[in-house]
Amino acid sequence: MTVKTSRGALWRSFRRNQFKTEMVNLELSQILTGHKGIVWNVSWHPQGNVIASCGEDKTIKLWSKEGVQWTIKTVLVDGHQRTIREVAWSPCGNFLASASFDATTAIWDKKSGQFECNATLEGHENEVKSVAWSPSGQLLATCGRDKSVWVWEVAGDDEYECEAVLNAHNQDVKKVAWHPSLDVLASASYDNTVKMYKEDSADNDWTCVATLQSHDSTVWSLAFDNTGERLATCSDDKTVKIWKEYKSDNQEGVIVNDKESVWKCVCTLSGYHTRSVYDIAWCHKTGLIATACGDDIIRIFKESEDSDLNAPTFDLMCTKLNAHTQDVNCVKWNPLGNQELLSCSDDGEIRLWKCSE
Amino acid sequence: MVSRFSGALQLTDLDDFITPSQECIKPVKIEKTKTKTGAKIKIGENGYFDISSGREQKLKKVEITLADCLACSGCITSAESVLVTRQSQEELLKVFSERKYTDNKGVTNDVSLIVISVSPQPTLSLAARYKLSSQEATRKLVGYFKSLGADLVLDMTVAEDLSLLEAQEEFLQRYQNQQNDPSGTHLPMLASSCPGWVCYAEKTHGNFILPYISSTKSPQQIMGSLVKQVLSRNRGITPGEIYHVTFMPCYDKKLEASREDFYSDMMNCHDVDCVITAIELEQMLESSNKSLNDILGSELDWPWSDSEGPPSLKRHVGSGSGGYADHIFLYAAEHLFGESKAQLIYKNLRNPDFREVTLEKDGKEVLKFAIANGFRNIQNLVQKLKRGKSPYHYVEVMACPSGCLNGGAQVRPITGESGRELVSQLEAMYSQLPLVIPSDNKLLRKLYSDWLDGRDSDKAKAMLHTTYHAVEKSDIALNIKW
Repeated sequence: MTVKTSRGALWRSFRRNQFKTEMVNLELSQILTGHKGIVWNVSWHPQGNVIASCGEDKTIKLWSKEGVQWTIKTVLVDGHQRTIREVAWSPCGNFLASASFDATTAIWDKKSGQFECNATLEGHENEVKSVAWSPSGQLLATCGRDKSVWVWEVAGDDEYECEAVLNAHNQDVKKVAWHPSLDVLASASYDNTVKMYKEDSADNDWTCVATLQSHDSTVWSLAFDNTGERLATCSDDKTVKIWKEYKSDNQEGVIVNDKESVWKCVCTLSGYHTRSVYDIAWCHKTGLIATACGDDIIRIFKESEDSDLNAPTFDLMCTKLNAHTQDVNCVKWNPLGNQELLSCSDDGEIRLWKCSE
Repeated sequence: MVSRFSGALQLTDLDDFITPSQECIKPVKIEKTKTKTGAKIKIGENGYFDISSGREQKLKKVEITLADCLACSGCITSAESVLVTRQSQEELLKVFSERKYTDNKGVTNDVSLIVISVSPQPTLSLAARYKLSSQEATRKLVGYFKSLGADLVLDMTVAEDLSLLEAQEEFLQRYQNQQNDPSGTHLPMLASSCPGWVCYAEKTHGNFILPYISSTKSPQQIMGSLVKQVLSRNRGITPGEIYHVTFMPCYDKKLEASREDFYSDMMNCHDVDCVITAIELEQMLESSNKSLNDILGSELDWPWSDSEGPPSLKRHVGSGSGGYADHIFLYAAEHLFGESKAQLIYKNLRNPDFREVTLEKDGKEVLKFAIANGFRNIQNLVQKLKRGKSPYHYVEVMACPSGCLNGGAQVRPITGESGRELVSQLEAMYSQLPLVIPSDNKLLRKLYSDWLDGRDSDKAKAMLHTTYHAVEKSDIALNIKW
C-alpha cells in the first residue's frame, strides 16, 4: 500500500517533532533479498555477526558478512510445513529455534558440522506464533493461537521437557519475551493484555503473576529494557506503552498486595503511529526504542534527559517514511550495541539500517 | 472465570469464546422443500421466518448437543447453551420435580427411581468447604439429595473395586501379550478413568496413543451399568425409568457420560444421565440460601445384597485418583514375580506430579510404573512414547495437577487459602477414610457370577470395558483459519 497515512496525521506528527526529527538519522546500509513473500522475523546471533530470517516461504535463511555485504550462507528447508513466524538464537549462539504455523517449534544446531533440526517441540494445537530463549538458555517459551504459553526446559541431548502449559490468556497469544536476567516470562495477546509468569519453587509449577491491562486492542509485541524493571509494549491500538515494575518495598507508595511486585503503565505514546504497531525493540546498550508499524514506517524514540521514572517522557527522534513498501513486521537492534537495526516486511525484504545520533 | 474442565480439555477442545453460531463447523441437516426462487427469510423478533410459501413459517432453531460436539473435531464449546441442556443443576432440579427427563436422543422417559452415586473426591471437597468431617459431610449430602427428591443415594466403592480388579487383570494380559509380541502396542498401559485425558488423546494423538489406553471403564461408567442393569432388574423396572446422577470432581465427567459408547440402544438410555459436581452443589445450596451444615443428615443406601456393615465413603491404597498405579503394581509384582510384599517407594521426577516406582528383582528393574498428573506431564509422557523413550509398563494419567482430589470442579479455595493447601487438606482427609481392598469385596464375587457370567466372560467384557475412537481432523475449507 502506498498511502496509508493521512496527510493531516503526518503533518501533526511532523510539527510535533520537527525540532527533534533530525536528531537521529536512520541510514539504509543494505537490502537483503532472497525470501519469497512475507518476511516475518529476523534474529541477530548474540555475537551480532550472523542473521537468521524466516517467513512465508517456509525457509530459514542464515546471513553473514562477506566483505561489506551480508549474503545468504545457508538456507534451512524441510523443517516446517507452513509459514515460519519467528526465529530465535539461543544466548550461547549454538542453537536456533523456529516457531511455525505447522504447530511445531524446531531446534536447529550445528553439532554435525552443518545446521540440522535435531529436536522438534510438539504440543501446541495449532499455529505457534513466537519462541524465545530465557537468558540462561535453559528454558524456552512458545505461544500461539491455541491461547496457551508453554515453557520448555532444555533437558540435554536434544531433549526438551514441557515445564508448564499456561492458559492465562483467553485469546491468541502473539509474542513471548523473557526478562533480561531473571526467569520471568511475559506474553502479549489478542485479548489486549500482557501477562507475566514465574516458577513457584514450592511445586515447580509456573503461574501467572501479573496482568498488564491498558491497551485497547491486540498487543503485538513487547520488549524489556536492560534492567528488566521496565517493559515497552506495542499494539493494534496504535500506541506504545511503557510499564514500570513496583516492588513491595517501593518508595513511591504503590500498594503491592500479597505479591512481589505490580506493573503499572507509566507512559503512553499515542498520536505517532497511524496504524497497528507490530513490533518494538528496546536497545539494551543505547536505550533507543524502535518500532515497526503497519504504516510502513520505522520510528525511533528516546527517553528525555529530564524524564521522571514514574512518568517518563519519550521523544520521537526519527520517522523513517517508506522504510519498507508494505507493513514492517519486525525490528531488531544488533546486540553489540553498534546502532545497527534490522527490519523485515510484507514486501519480502530485510533491511539493515545504521542509526546515528 | 476459572474453567471447571481439566487443563487438557481447555487447550484442545473448549473454546469459551466461540459460540456454535459463530464458528461451529458441524454440518446440520436442514429439511427444505424445493422452490424456484430460493427461500425468502424474514427475521422476526422471536426467530427466523420462511415466507417463500406466502405465509410465515417459523424456522426451527438449529441445536447442537454435547454429543454432536464430542463427535466433531472442531471446537467443543462450553458455552452454557450446549452444556446446560442435559447436564446442569437446573435440569437436575427439573427432573426431581417433574419426575421425567429427555435424553440426548430426544427420548422422554418417566422416572420412577432417582439414583445418585457419590464419589469420594467431591464429598471431601464439600466437607472441607463446610468444615465437616467426611462422615458428617456424607450424611448431610445424602440428606440434601433426599430432600430434593432422590430415592437412593449410593457410594461408588463397588464400581471402584470392579474397575481396579479389571484393570489389574487387563495389565497381566497386556504384559503377557507384550512378551509374546514384543513389537505390539500392549505396553505401557495407560489409565483410562480420566475423561479429560481420554478425550485429549482421542482428539490430538488418535490412533497412536489409543491402543495403550486401558479398555477398563471408569468407576462412573461401571456404576452406570450396575444401576441401569442390576438395580433395574432387582427392582423390576426398565432401565429408562431410572434417572442416574453421579456426583463427581470435574466437568470432564459430563463429557464421559454423554459418550455414544455409554448409550445403550437396547435399553434406550445412557448409563449415567446427569453429572453434578462439587462446585455446582455448592451453588445449589447457596442459591437456596442453605449451608450444608444445616441439612438434616441421612444414611447412604445399600440396594445390593450381602451387606458388610453400613455403607460409607471408602478409600483405596494409593493416589486420591483411585489408586490405579498402586493396585496394579502390587498385583503384578505378586502374580508376575511372586513378590507378595512389594514396597511402593515413589521417586519424584521433574516435579511432584510426575513420579515413578520400580520393582527390582535380582538387581534388575522388572516393573516400572509412573503417576503423571496435569497437562504438562501428559505432554512429556506422550512425547516420550512418540520417541520410543518411555521406560514404563504402566502410567496412571490424570489431566488435573495433583489428580482427582484437585479436580476442575472441586470447590475453589477461599480467599487467602492457596490451592496447594486445600489439596493437602483433601489428601489428608482422604487418607483418613476407611481402607478397602477390592479383592476382599464379597459383593464382587456375586456380581461376577450372577450378573457377568464369570470373569473374562463376554458379558464382563461388554459391561466393564469400552473402546476409544480417534477423532479425524477435518480439513474442510471452513475449518482452515489463517
